[in-house]
Amino acid sequence: MTNTYIESFPAEAKVVRAAFYSSFLALAIGGLFGIIQTLHRTGYYRFMDSADYYTVLTAHGVLLAITFTIFFLVGVFTWATTTSLDRPVEDIRFTWAWYGLMVVGTVLTAIPIFAGFTDSEMSASVLFTFYAPLQGHPLFYFGLVLFVVGTWLAGVDWFRSWWAWKQEHPDKRIPLPTFMVLTTTLMWYIATLGVAAAILLFLLPWSLGLVESVNPLLTRTLFWFFGHPVVYFWLMPAYMMWYVMLPKISGGKLFSDPLARVVFVLFLILSVPTGIHHQYLDPGIAEGFKFIAMTNTMFLLLPSLLTAFTVVASMEHGARQRGGTGYLGWLKALPWRDPVFAGMALAGLMFAAAGFSGMINAGMNINYLVHNTFWVVGHFHLTVGTAVALTFMAVTYWFLPQVTGKALWNRSVALGQVVLWFVGMTFMSNAMHRGGLLGIPRRTAEPQYDGFEFEAAVGSVGELDAQIALGGALLTLSLVLFFANVVGTALNSRSDDLPANEYADTLSGPSDAPLVLDNLKLWTAIAIVLVIFAYSFPLLSIIERGGLFGPELTELPVHIGLGLEYLWATTISTVTTASETVVALGAEVNW
Amino acid sequence: MSQTAEHEASNETSEHVREIGHDEFDPIGTLTLIGIYFLILVFLWFFMYFVEFLGNDPTVVSGTLVFLATGARSA
Repeated sequence: MTNTYIESFPAEAKVVRAAFYSSFLALAIGGLFGIIQTLHRTGYYRFMDSADYYTVLTAHGVLLAITFTIFFLVGVFTWATTTSLDRPVEDIRFTWAWYGLMVVGTVLTAIPIFAGFTDSEMSASVLFTFYAPLQGHPLFYFGLVLFVVGTWLAGVDWFRSWWAWKQEHPDKRIPLPTFMVLTTTLMWYIATLGVAAAILLFLLPWSLGLVESVNPLLTRTLFWFFGHPVVYFWLMPAYMMWYVMLPKISGGKLFSDPLARVVFVLFLILSVPTGIHHQYLDPGIAEGFKFIAMTNTMFLLLPSLLTAFTVVASMEHGARQRGGTGYLGWLKALPWRDPVFAGMALAGLMFAAAGFSGMINAGMNINYLVHNTFWVVGHFHLTVGTAVALTFMAVTYWFLPQVTGKALWNRSVALGQVVLWFVGMTFMSNAMHRGGLLGIPRRTAEPQYDGFEFEAAVGSVGELDAQIALGGALLTLSLVLFFANVVGTALNSRSDDLPANEYADTLSGPSDAPLVLDNLKLWTAIAIVLVIFAYSFPLLSIIERGGLFGPELTELPVHIGLGLEYLWATTISTVTTASETVVALGAEVNW
Repeated sequence: MSQTAEHEASNETSEHVREIGHDEFDPIGTLTLIGIYFLILVFLWFFMYFVEFLGNDPTVVSGTLVFLATGARSA
């Protein structure tokens, strides 16, 4: 008797395992495309037409940023709710249904992307951001919708578990892992409204030929309404692992349960009203609105810095319980030979570096220096590409035995894998950042030009390319080792000598947290109000200027009735006056 | 063999030498690390001035500041 997850929840373990394997398949294909791009861009090995680079880039972005991350996190969230509420899901058929819907959505999205490699008419090489006027095959958008609906139903599943648990435990605090799942899910519901509107109201009808044009700035803005919070959808499960797993693996306890709750509440409130910071260079959005988005973004640094403190303090608690001493000497007492620990700790270290490049991106005027350059690619390979991906790979070494009932194939290979990822990403991401400062563009198959050379103050473009190619090669090798371990573990026989399915205790527990922190309705309401503040004026002003479906608004069938039309015109004019006032105020503040 | 290793490394109590409670725990090491991170951030923030303003033409210069600077010179 080992008390693993698969023994306590055999049916759920199957779904979690399926979600993990789906995510690993996406990681394998997306990772392969990663090395192809690296070699193509740097010019080391170009075996395909440069036009196909954008198909590869689309597949890389969608498969890694959407499929890999989200399949993994739905697995983690299902584990978290069942384990911390100590109850199975309410209806396992429903759980399989949302998982199935996500699979169908992924396949439908992948078909037109991969068709881009063939001579067929079908293609969707629109990149991860699918900005209009780039138009993908309708199947691409339809698949994305199904995938997102699948995640919504997954959220319903986790809420159902909580509601049922609450009936039986009316006076108990929400267990921390479930609290994290619920706040993240609420944030995701709000965030995905933007992409749902962009696709269902505009891009899908346009792709089907039902409407003739779209307003590109409107669909872009709706994309980023979702596009920034989606990074927290990836990051929150990684944070959850840092809060509930890392302290335990360090040999200690979570420093503060209340602080962890505050962090997740802050992410629920502040994740969405920040998306416009991806659009600092978009003409057509007034500076004042961008300033508001910047302010919200800077506030968003707070929960990440709180996390840095809480997580490091929890690790220190573990190190001191293991006999560590001194100001920095305690670091040596940490279990660095444990791949689960080493991977997560290195991921956290990389995230600290990403914090700095993120602050550069977030500053409105400094952003102009790096916007659309390779810097940005360097930044998100530190965040989603390391803080999230490396944490996910590291915890996989803990989760695999839990959901398969089999011992990990090889811990030394696992340790080598996480270290190799860290080293590879150090080379690649550092060179990408520096390339961006020289003005080397992102999303470009052949970033070299006749009669023009990027000048580096230190080093050279050739040196940067060499670092990127080397880093990419190390990352690919790291992936190979990762999959060797996944497959090796799957082929192992069942073991009855595995660690129990447990997560970290706390030094300061939930009883120290104010009750109001568990008031999810209140935080959701505040989140919605902030979104309305941040987005209603920019969206109305974009619609007023460019029309709902592009500049020729009057010629498109948007009339519902004269009364409504009058109401609409009045609202627009009132809102415009108000927004001008806000812009003027914003400009004052900016001055 | 790998199973034994799995068991040992994940058994947190194997290297557990003392129990530190809420009130005895003084996270001075955390303060040290976060302090170092803060100093790195401050250094990079100053360094950014050289990258942005000395490596390139200024991207955003406040009209007020330019006016004050020229005003100061003429006075």
